Amino acid sequence: VPPDRAPLPPARYKPPATETNPALEDPTPDYMNLLGMVFSMCGLMLKLKWCAWIAVYCSFISFANSRSSEDTKQMMSSFMLSISAVVMSYLQNPQPMSPPW
Amino acid sequence: MKNLYIFIAVLFIPWSSSLAKYDEFEDGDDIMEYDDNDFAEFEDVSEDTVTESPQRIITTEDDEEEATVELEGQDENQEDFDDADTQEGDTESEPYDDEEFEGYEEKPDASHSKNKDPITIVNVPAHLQNSWESYYMEILMVTGLLAYIMNYIIGKNKNNRLAHAWFNTHRELLESNFALVGDDGTNKEATSTGKLNQENEHIYNLWCSGRVCCEGMLIQLKFLKRQDLLNVLARMMRPASDQVQIKVTMNDEDMDTYVFAVGTRKALVRLQKEMQDLSEFCSDKPKSGAKYGLPDSLAILSEMGEVTEGMMDAKMIHFLTHYADKIDSVQFSDQFSGPKLMQEEGQLTKLPETKKTLLFTFNVPGSGNTSPKDMESLLPLMSMVIYCIDKAKKFRLNREGKQKADKNRARVEENFLKLTHVQRQEAAQSRREEKKRAEKERIMNEEDPEKQRRLEEAALRREQKKLEKKQMKMKQIKVKAM
Repeated sequence: VPPDRAPLPPARYKPPATETNPALEDPTPDYMNLLGMVFSMCGLMLKLKWCAWIAVYCSFISFANSRSSEDTKQMMSSFMLSISAVVMSYLQNPQPMSPPW
Repeated sequence: MKNLYIFIAVLFIPWSSSLAKYDEFEDGDDIMEYDDNDFAEFEDVSEDTVTESPQRIITTEDDEEEATVELEGQDENQEDFDDADTQEGDTESEPYDDEEFEGYEEKPDASHSKNKDPITIVNVPAHLQNSWESYYMEILMVTGLLAYIMNYIIGKNKNNRLAHAWFNTHRELLESNFALVGDDGTNKEATSTGKLNQENEHIYNLWCSGRVCCEGMLIQLKFLKRQDLLNVLARMMRPASDQVQIKVTMNDEDMDTYVFAVGTRKALVRLQKEMQDLSEFCSDKPKSGAKYGLPDSLAILSEMGEVTEGMMDAKMIHFLTHYADKIDSVQFSDQFSGPKLMQEEGQLTKLPETKKTLLFTFNVPGSGNTSPKDMESLLPLMSMVIYCIDKAKKFRLNREGKQKADKNRARVEENFLKLTHVQRQEAAQSRREEKKRAEKERIMNEEDPEKQRRLEEAALRREQKKLEKKQMKMKQIKVKAM
């Protein structure tokens, strides 16, 4: 055993305290989550199909950027909300989406 | 950054849909089909319109293309009907009732003469058209989502492979230097897990501990977000590279008091602005390291010249020159507390906690297009880290240096106290008021009138004592002033 290795009880891992320093955290998943929910609400209320589709994209992006410690329930709920927004928009108005130009 | 993402997403849609747009009206058969199927609905309204319209030249349509195609369709229709004429009883070739064409034989000549009536063709709603092509936007969206998912899987796997390649390369060196390699803090006993902690799809941690002079070492593999398609697209415009960040926490007795940093000029300028300790103790701009033989790309930030002299020994210079392209920044600090905290006015009542730390940030070669083999080139950098740990332990400031360092620290603390003096006073004042209010409430809540009276008297007496004390102090100050 090399002499440098300490036989003493080694210090344990402590996850870096990101709660005390919010600047270190990546805000993307939270923003995307919020954006996704806003868009799916718009899509449902205003019956705008493109809003609902963007909401689906937002929830996917939020999922891709999320930390593993993050609540999967939150992810799943935003994902389900956006899917339901898309489905509802199509049930109410089965016409295909028209491009904005 | 977010604006960029939205811009790209918006660009994506029109570009791909413009490719799909003109498929709609190429297939005349479809038009013919739906024409007939739909007009079957109007069967009982008027047979005239059913039989006449296919022959009409449609002028009410806006789209010329549509008109020309339907003309073609009409010709085909006409041929079909002609066949129907000759094969009246033959129901195999046509899916329609014979009844539909009951009055047809009389019509052909008669209808030509009355083609002046304006016919308004109702535009068949797109969703009744039964053709997938009208849903091209939706197909585009789903394709985009599938592309995103594919990229997620590919990116995640690549990051995973890179992380494990790094770990496999460095495992031996780490295990020979640290007793505990890999810990996630959940086990009761301190046993090496021998595995990386995956924090994210692009961030992997490794905690090593059990070495003389350092409390522990946290290695963070900060890869690029290959799992996020938006990030991948953004990186096409602004290349970035994966980073390996190593943070060694030193024991208090194993490091002297100094603040020192070396790295690329850009990185140092940024760190000087962001990091609490560098901004307070290293007030000069980053200096060139050419005096010590360092390449031009590297610069030095130091609390005092003596520290630089002590740090820049031959081996260190060798490391820095050879691996200059991979080094982003190296920071030794006894006052390390991380980046400056953004706090509102009036909240800063205590200096942030500091720890003696060595912080190394390395760039993985390849600038984003890394392969697992590139991880081997980072191994010498880990040796440099181990060397620095030992060096930091051995390096001690001389008497002058120590005095200067102590003076600096005292100065910083004094500045801080001055700034927060007002806040601390206010905090103390509010605490006193809280106490008084609590007292009063207690008195009010006392049901027993006797007790109430007694408590009130006690409070009054205390107030009076305080006043007297204050008056005494004022008198003393006045006397002293005189």
